[in-house]
Amino acid sequence: MKHSVILLSIGALLLAASPAQAHLMNSGFGPFYDGLAHPFLVPDDLLPVIALTLLAGLRGARCGRWVVFALPSAWLAGMAAAAVIHLPSGPVWMTCALTIVLGALAAADRPWPVALVVGLAAVAGATHGFGNGRELAAIKGGGLAMAGIASALFVVSALTAGQLATLRAHWARVAVRVAGSWIAAIGLLMLGWSMRTGQ
Amino acid sequence: MKLRHAVILLGLLAVSPATHAHELRPAYLEMREVKTGEFSVLWKTPMLGDMRLSLEPEFSGEAKPATPVSTRTTPGAAVQTWTLRALALRGQTLLIRGLDSTMTDALVRCEFADGTTWSQRLSPAQPSALIPARQTAWAVAGVYVQLGIEHILFGIDHLLFVLGLLLLVQARWMLLKTITAFTVAHSLTLAIATLGYASAPGAPLNAAIALSILFLGPEIVRMWRGETSLTIRKPWLVAFCFGLLHGFGFASALSNTGLPRADLPLALLTFNVGVEIGQVAFVGLVVLLERSFRQLEFCWPVWVLRAPGYAIGSLGAFWTIQRTVMMFR
Repeated sequence: MKHSVILLSIGALLLAASPAQAHLMNSGFGPFYDGLAHPFLVPDDLLPVIALTLLAGLRGARCGRWVVFALPSAWLAGMAAAAVIHLPSGPVWMTCALTIVLGALAAADRPWPVALVVGLAAVAGATHGFGNGRELAAIKGGGLAMAGIASALFVVSALTAGQLATLRAHWARVAVRVAGSWIAAIGLLMLGWSMRTGQ
Repeated sequence: MKLRHAVILLGLLAVSPATHAHELRPAYLEMREVKTGEFSVLWKTPMLGDMRLSLEPEFSGEAKPATPVSTRTTPGAAVQTWTLRALALRGQTLLIRGLDSTMTDALVRCEFADGTTWSQRLSPAQPSALIPARQTAWAVAGVYVQLGIEHILFGIDHLLFVLGLLLLVQARWMLLKTITAFTVAHSLTLAIATLGYASAPGAPLNAAIALSILFLGPEIVRMWRGETSLTIRKPWLVAFCFGLLHGFGFASALSNTGLPRADLPLALLTFNVGVEIGQVAFVGLVVLLERSFRQLEFCWPVWVLRAPGYAIGSLGAFWTIQRTVMMFR
């Protein structure tokens, strides 16, 4: 029962993946590099990744290790699923809501269970990956672009979570929490904008 | 220092089929004033597979082709030449149409009959620029610094060699010494080759650069086995020797993109500065990743730890064979 609820939730989020996140820029260096640059050029994708890695870093090394693999794997799985399953695109508000939740959890800096953080990483990865995958599946070299995106996510999450995992200074943790609250605030603004534009 | 932990991902990136050695593909527009108001134009656009990128230079004022456009293709680029008639090119705005829908940059160089030059790097965010009466040295420097950074970051073979050195070197002080030796060596040959005092033919040079990467593979394995060798004891010496080769490679890339004769020393210096910035950024990224993996307390299986070393050796072998075969084609 519990598993079916989780699966249904993930399915609902996949359906809600935003088409706005699918855009891939041409770097001129081939699809792998296009994918590598993608997360850094799309704030919709970058913000939840940063929030999640801040959260994982604050929760320590064990949580960080899980997220470093769970996020890119789920993202890759989401992209691959989108290439096979042709479903209509969902509302943007769902991904904005995820950004708000992740930012708020980082800002709260509570001893959240590792399973919760890893679960959120899987959901966020699958949702955003599904959004990316729809367009990537249609382009030449889409598989390489997907590999590029997953590689970039692995590096970003390892760097951020790794640097934060041993953070002890009180002021440093406060700074990370402030960053989390800013991400939540930006997520709120994005949510407001998506509602206004009816996406 | 257990840098191998940090380079696992970078090793995987390097073995991706999307990676190619010597990837440096900005578009290049050269206009040389052959007589007053008449310019010999060379327009080089990168190819994506068999297709030429859809980029076209456009001027805001009076500038018309005086001859038909002649087109030929070279590996990775389409080269077009024609004569342009423009009585007053200075003061006009040059736009590279189509650039804004790519992420490829375009390097523009204009040589006027009075000996002055204008160089500019146009990008998708800024696909147009005003051709000024005079250009400052800072502007030329900026263009070539960017070019240098781009060359090292997309020249996978150079990065793999640096990665191999990082795998070999255990202590930070030795790492600094080794990277410095590589830098000094490639700067020397870059300068010598660019200034025309020496040259190396492209095909054997590329094969030799591949061989330098292949050379590091067995040395890394030897180090893992606890054995020793000259490379392991004095990695800076090997870095210096092979750095001389890599410098010729940088010089070849620099000459392919065009050099302003009037600002040659400045272009050379700033291109090299760009290469060093890119190299330091790469080394910094690897060191930071290694630190992150350590802080996250990763316990990698042995085969994962060994993968980057074998990947370097295998890629080096593949490129050496491929480039050697190409020499005899």
